[in-house]
Amino acid sequence: MNALPLPAPLSPASPRRLPGDRDVWIFICAELFAFGLFFVAYMHYRSVSVALFNDSQLGLDRSLGALNTILLLTSSWAVVSAVRAARLGRIVAVPRYLAFGIALGLAFMVVKYFEYGAKLNAGITVTTDMFYMFYFCLTGIHLMHVVAGTIVLFVIWLNARAHLYHTGNTTGIEAGASYWHMVDLLWIFLFALLYLLR
Amino acid sequence: MDEKTSLKYQMLCAWSGPLFLVAFIYFWGMMGFNLPAPPSPALGAGELAARYVEHLGGIRVGFLVSMIVMTLYIPWTAVLSVQMMRIEGRSPVLALIQLIGGALTVPVVSISSVFWVAAAYRPQRAPEITQALTDSGWLIIDTLWACTTWQMVAAAVAGLHDKSAKPLFPRWLCFVTIFCGLSFAPATMTGILKTGPFAWDGVLSFYFPYFCWLFWFAFASVYMILEVARRRQALDFPSPSSSARLAHA
Repeated sequence: MNALPLPAPLSPASPRRLPGDRDVWIFICAELFAFGLFFVAYMHYRSVSVALFNDSQLGLDRSLGALNTILLLTSSWAVVSAVRAARLGRIVAVPRYLAFGIALGLAFMVVKYFEYGAKLNAGITVTTDMFYMFYFCLTGIHLMHVVAGTIVLFVIWLNARAHLYHTGNTTGIEAGASYWHMVDLLWIFLFALLYLLR
Repeated sequence: MDEKTSLKYQMLCAWSGPLFLVAFIYFWGMMGFNLPAPPSPALGAGELAARYVEHLGGIRVGFLVSMIVMTLYIPWTAVLSVQMMRIEGRSPVLALIQLIGGALTVPVVSISSVFWVAAAYRPQRAPEITQALTDSGWLIIDTLWACTTWQMVAAAVAGLHDKSAKPLFPRWLCFVTIFCGLSFAPATMTGILKTGPFAWDGVLSFYFPYFCWLFWFAFASVYMILEVARRRQALDFPSPSSSARLAHA
């Protein structure tokens, strides 16, 4: 029995370690499941009236949607860079990258403000038709997630400014970054389903 | 009252959870005909009134009993408050938020049932009045979700700070609780929409959030019962380790 080789314990730097916090990942999985339901519901209602969905979709501003996709993808890059800086112990760079990510999150909200404003000014609301019901509900719920994710990034930024994250402690920043990447991932799905899918 | 007697009442309160769950699903859901599907908000007034006439007995008895069943939420919320107060110590603000949120959930859910009983009260009246009463009931139960969300998030946050050797709730359940509490948010759209998944009979405003609420309630009940059981056992068979653990908690 004693001769059996024991598996080597995973060191904190092992690439096979789950980044962040297992229980935060359970939260993220629950979020992804809920959005999965949203997407299935959207596809179901779209399949019933494809013509209406395609027609109403022409009213969306694709360039603003694409701009927001670029903003969130870039912010994800900034957050990844912050995590990498923390792992490498470059603790001064961590809050700078995070501040850039937060600024991009705020920019996303500003773009959405103008996008919603243009729709409402044109008399398009949540009750206009089934497509716009989904457009407002799904992007609205996602916007709540952008706000929540930006608050998470802000808390991490405060901690990073206090030099809390370093080579030996990256759990908190990894957990927050995982959530932000989820927000980004969901937007990519939403952009494809609402703005692009014909 | 000695500790042993108090724990007996705490155990009874914790068991009001499973009892609520079963009775609520039966009377509010099945007997009141909210399951398998609630009345669609898109129904015409005449069709809706006909639905009341057809299921008159079930709707009356189901919702009248469910108003009494809903009060089982009171002892359950009380024992959860006591367990949270132990985690929080001298200034249990989260336990109080939970207590108030749970206490307000009772009128939110039961007053909506009063409106449906009122709708069924005079089945021969003008159908538009029956429709208005039905609308009011659904809008009360669906748009006032945030009271219950406060209860759930407060319980989850306190649970995440539980430093005892055997915490009240596992960490994963605390995160899932926050998610479940926030899953009610689409129900706000029931105040505007009449068709689709965000209407009050839709997947995303009815089936999913109500499932999440009862899912949390079921799991929280199990862990609350286990917590009381541990304390009773520690009282009956005190061991040096368990008494030290409870003293620390």
